[in-house]
Amino acid sequence: MPNARLLMTFPVTATSHTLAEYRARGGYGALEKALRQMTPQQVTAEVNASGIQGRGGAAFPMGRKWGVIHPNDGQPHYLCANADEGEPGTFKDRWILENAPHLLLESIVIAAYALEVRHAFVYIRGEFDLPYRRLAGALEEAYAAGYLGADILGTGFACDIVVYRGGGSYVCGEASALITSIEGKRGYPRNRPPRLTVRGLYQRPTVVNNVETLSNIAWIVDHGGDAFSKVGTPKNPGTRLISISGHINKPGVYEIEAGYPWARFIYEDCGGMQNRLGLKGVIPGGISTKVLTGAEIESLHFDSQEMEAAGSSLGSGGTIAIADGTCMVRLLQVMLRFYHHESCGQCTPCREGMGWLHRIIDRIVDGQGRSEDIERLYSISRLNDGTTICGMGDAAGYATSGILNKFRGEFEYYIEHKRSQFDGRLACPKSS
Amino acid sequence: MPEIFINGQAVQAERGQTVMEVAVAHGFVIPHFCWHPDLSIAGNCRICAVQVEGRSWVEIACNMPVADGLRVLTDSEMVSSYRKSLMQLFTLNHPVDCGICDKAGECMLQDYHYAYNGSPSESREPKVHATKFHPLSDRITLDNERCVLCTRCVRFTHEISKSKALGVTQRGDVSLIRAAEDHPLDDDPYSDNIVDLCPVGALLSRSFLYKSRVWYLEPTPSVCPGCARGCTVQIWHRKREWKLNALDPRHNASIERVTPLDNPQVNGPWICNKGRDLAAIFERPRAQQALCHGKPVDLARAIDAARTLIAGAERPLALVSNWASNEELEAFRRALGDRFRALYKHDCSPVAGERIEDDFLIRGDKNPNTAAARALFPFDDPALPLDGGVDLLLVWGEGFDFARVPPAARTIVLGSYVDDAHARADVFIPVSIQTEREGHYTNFAGVVSAFEPCFPKSDRVAHAQSLFAELETA
Amino acid sequence: MKHLIPEFAVLRSRFPAGFESSLVLPCLRRIQEERGHVADEDIDGLVAYLGVPRIQIEEVLSFYTEFRRTPIGRFHIAACRNVSCSLRGSEEIVAHLCTALGIEPGQTTPDGRITLSTVECLASCGTAPVVTVNGAYHEDMTAAKIDALLATLA
Repeated sequence: MPNARLLMTFPVTATSHTLAEYRARGGYGALEKALRQMTPQQVTAEVNASGIQGRGGAAFPMGRKWGVIHPNDGQPHYLCANADEGEPGTFKDRWILENAPHLLLESIVIAAYALEVRHAFVYIRGEFDLPYRRLAGALEEAYAAGYLGADILGTGFACDIVVYRGGGSYVCGEASALITSIEGKRGYPRNRPPRLTVRGLYQRPTVVNNVETLSNIAWIVDHGGDAFSKVGTPKNPGTRLISISGHINKPGVYEIEAGYPWARFIYEDCGGMQNRLGLKGVIPGGISTKVLTGAEIESLHFDSQEMEAAGSSLGSGGTIAIADGTCMVRLLQVMLRFYHHESCGQCTPCREGMGWLHRIIDRIVDGQGRSEDIERLYSISRLNDGTTICGMGDAAGYATSGILNKFRGEFEYYIEHKRSQFDGRLACPKSS
Repeated sequence: MPEIFINGQAVQAERGQTVMEVAVAHGFVIPHFCWHPDLSIAGNCRICAVQVEGRSWVEIACNMPVADGLRVLTDSEMVSSYRKSLMQLFTLNHPVDCGICDKAGECMLQDYHYAYNGSPSESREPKVHATKFHPLSDRITLDNERCVLCTRCVRFTHEISKSKALGVTQRGDVSLIRAAEDHPLDDDPYSDNIVDLCPVGALLSRSFLYKSRVWYLEPTPSVCPGCARGCTVQIWHRKREWKLNALDPRHNASIERVTPLDNPQVNGPWICNKGRDLAAIFERPRAQQALCHGKPVDLARAIDAARTLIAGAERPLALVSNWASNEELEAFRRALGDRFRALYKHDCSPVAGERIEDDFLIRGDKNPNTAAARALFPFDDPALPLDGGVDLLLVWGEGFDFARVPPAARTIVLGSYVDDAHARADVFIPVSIQTEREGHYTNFAGVVSAFEPCFPKSDRVAHAQSLFAELETA
Repeated sequence: MKHLIPEFAVLRSRFPAGFESSLVLPCLRRIQEERGHVADEDIDGLVAYLGVPRIQIEEVLSFYTEFRRTPIGRFHIAACRNVSCSLRGSEEIVAHLCTALGIEPGQTTPDGRITLSTVECLASCGTAPVVTVNGAYHEDMTAAKIDALLATLA
C-alpha cells in the first residue's frame, strides 16, 4: 500500500537543515508563489480546500480556525506556532525543528500573509536545546536571505518572527496558556468565550497552530489544497508524523498516510516488539489518549473515525508500545505523577483531583490499596470530564479510565495482594 | 433585549450580560466562590456550573453569555450531583478548623457544604498542609490551608486598589497566595477589603482575630467620618441579647469590627482601612465630666453657666464642628444662629503617613460633613487671628488651637474626647459622639447618608442637637 | 543584571510595541544563564527596567520549573522519569545515578559539583532514556554511558 511523504521527503544529514539545502529541495518556492501570485484570501481558500486538521492533539480544522480572523479589522493579528511539544510520547515536532526548520518558517510566513499577521511567534519549550539552536540558526539565515523582515522578497509584505522560549510547563502547550506565557506571565489557561481568534495575545485576534500542522502549508500552496485532500482519507487528509517509543524495536519518527494499518506499522515499519514479546497495549497518540489492547489496535488503521469508534484517538501522534509483562498499575502511577506535577492549579477539579488521583495510586503501589479505590479513580476522572478550564483535567481522566477499562484485573490484583501481578519494573521485560 | 429562561421562568436580560449576572439580578441563587460583580471573571472555582436544557454536561454560568432563548437549569439532578461531587474537592484538603476559625457563621464553604453536600469527606488520604499563619501584611493574616484559590483577593489588588500586591506562587495543589516580597500590601490603604472578599477563613483581620464569634454580633448602619467621601459602613457590636454579664462590661459597648455597607452611589462595596479602624477614633478616652473653670460640676449646672454667658455676651463667636451632623448644624442655626456670629472649622487634617487623596475613595478633606457646614457658615481659616473684639467664644468639636482665643473672650467648649484645654475653659460641656445618636452627613458630592446609634449615651453627656435649644436665650 | 540591559534593549526591539511584559521570561532566562540562578536584586532591577509588577516576576519564577532562585551545583543532571523513558529503563538509570553520586533527586553532591533532578517528558522518547546536563541532551543512556558521562564532569 503506498504511503505518501509530504514532510519527511529527504534524507537527514548533518547539513540537511540548512537554508542552502532547503532551497535546493525547492524550499521557499511556495512563499514566492504565495506572495507573488496569490492573494491572502486565495491562500486561505487552499487551506480550506485541503481540509487539514490540527496535529497538536485536538484535530480542529485549520481553515475553520483561520476563518474567524476578520480581514481589515483595524487591529493587529498574531500567529503562534506551538512548539511546546510536552505530551509524553510525542517528539515529532522536534523532528521538524531539528531537520526542517526552514519548512516551518516558510509556512509561518505564508500563514502570516493569509491572516494579516505582522508579528508571529514560535513558542518553543524551554528544555529544547538542539531544536532551539537549529531554529534560531534558520531564523538568522531566513532574515539574511530576505524571507523575513520589513519587505519580504521585495513584495512589500512585512513579517517578523520571534522565537519565544518557555520555562518548563506542560500546560503551556495549551493554546491559551501558551499565549498567556508569551505575555510574560504564568501559563494559566483561559476560559472561553472569548475564543483566542477573537481575543488572544494581549487581547488581539490570535491563531495558535501546531508546528506540524503549519509545516504542511508549504506543500498545500505548492500543490494545491485539493491535491492535499486526496492524500490520506477524506476525513483525515494528508499525512501524520508519528513518534513511536516504548518497548518497540525501532522507535523514532515516521510519516504515515492516514488510513495506514496499525499492525503493519508496528510489526513491519517499526520492527515489532523488543525481546519478541507480545504487544500488551498501545497508547496511540500521547498519554492523554485511551490505551488500546494489542488485539484491538492490530485491527485498526490510522483513521480518526475508526480510533474514536474504538474508544480512543490519534491525539498528538505520540505512540507508546507496551509489551506483555508490563505492570499497568505502575504505568498509571507514572502518568498520574506527571499530571499532578503539571497541573497549573487554577481550577478546583484538576488542582485537587490530580493530587487525589496521585495519592491513591501511590498508596496502591505501596501495598496500601483499598477495594473502593478503583471506583474512586473513576469518579475523580468523571468529575474532571468537561468541567475544567482546559483539557488537562479531562486528559488525566482519559488516561486513568482508559487503563482501568482495559486492565482492571491488574489493579484488583495489586490491591488484594499488595504487590504487582508482574515484577513491577517498567523497563522491557526479558523475553517470554 | 434577549430573553432567557432560568428553571423554566422567563427573565429579561441585557445584551452582554452573563447568565450569572442575570440570575443574581432576578434573585436566583447560583453558588459561587470566585465570581464577584465588581471583579473580572476568573471562572476557576467551577461551582457555578449550570445545565443548559437538553445538554448532558454542565457549564459555568459566570462566563456564559446570554442569548435570546437560552434555557438553563440551576438545580437539576445533574447540577446537584455535580455540586455535591465538587464540594468533596473543596473540602478534600480544607482543614476542619471551623471550631477555631473566625469565618464560622459567615463562611461560604460552610454554607455550601450544608446546602449542596452534607456528607463527610470520602477521602482517605492525608490532607495537603500549607502555611497557617502567614503574615500577608501588618493587618492581615493568611491561612493557606483554608484558601480555595478563588483569587478574589489577587484580582482586587490588581483591578480595584491597584496596589498589584498579591499573586499566586508555585502551581498545582501547592499553589500559595502571596504578597510581593517588597510588602506592597502594607502600603495598600484598601487592603482589608480582601478580608470581606475572601469566601472562607483564609484571609482574616489581625485586629479582629479571635475577638468574637460573628453570631454574637450585629451590624448597625453608619457613615465613616474619616474623610468627605462618607462611605457607608456597618459597625459591628455585641447583640443586646448576647450581652456579657461577667468579664469587662466595656465589651458590650465596643466596636468589634467595621465592614462596608454596599452603596452604589458612594463607595460600592469597599472602604479604606481608616474606616476599618473607627474604634481608633471613637474609642479614644472620652470626656464625660462637665466642668466650670476646670472644676467638675453636674451637667445642668454647666448648661446654666453657659446660658448665662451667652445671654451676657455682646460679640459672641462660634466655631462650628464639621463633624456635626446635618441635624445638629440645623439645630445650632435655629437656636443660636441669630445670637452668634458663626464660622465652621476643619476639625481634622491629614496626619503624617496618611494618603491624602486618590482617584478611588480617599478624599483630602478628613472630615465627614464639610459640605453641610459650608452651606450654612463661612470658613474659619486657622492661619488668621480671630476678631479681637470677641467677648465669648464657643468652640465645638476638635482641632482648635486655643492660643487663638481672643484675650478678652470667655470660652464655652463642647467636646467629646479628653483634652487638657477643657479644664481651661469657662464652661466645658461633654457632648455625644456619632455612635451614640442618629443623624446624616452630606458628602463632598452632596450625597446624604444616614447613621444610626450603636451604643447608649451616658447621662453625664449631652446631645448637642438638644443642647442648643437649652442654651437659647430670649 | 544592569550590564545585560543593552542586550535586553535589542531583544525588546524585536517585539511589537507594548510587549514589555513579554520580556519577563527571556530576561529571566538570560539572567539565570549568567548567574546560575535569579537573585533578589535581579528581580528589583528587572522590575525597574520593564515596569511590570514585582509579583508577576515572583509568580513566573515559582511557576516554571526551569527557573531557580537559589544556586545549584556546577552541573545540573536532569533525568526524565516519564512513561517512555520508564519503559526503556529510566528508573534504573536514576537509581544508578543516585548510587554513583550518593544523593537523591533534588539534592546536590557535598562538593557542590552536581545537582540531580528528575524531570518530566523532554520529547526524547525515541532515544530514551534521556538525561540532560546543563540543558544538553544525552540520549539512549545506559548505566555504562552514565558512568562515562560522570567521568567527564570532573
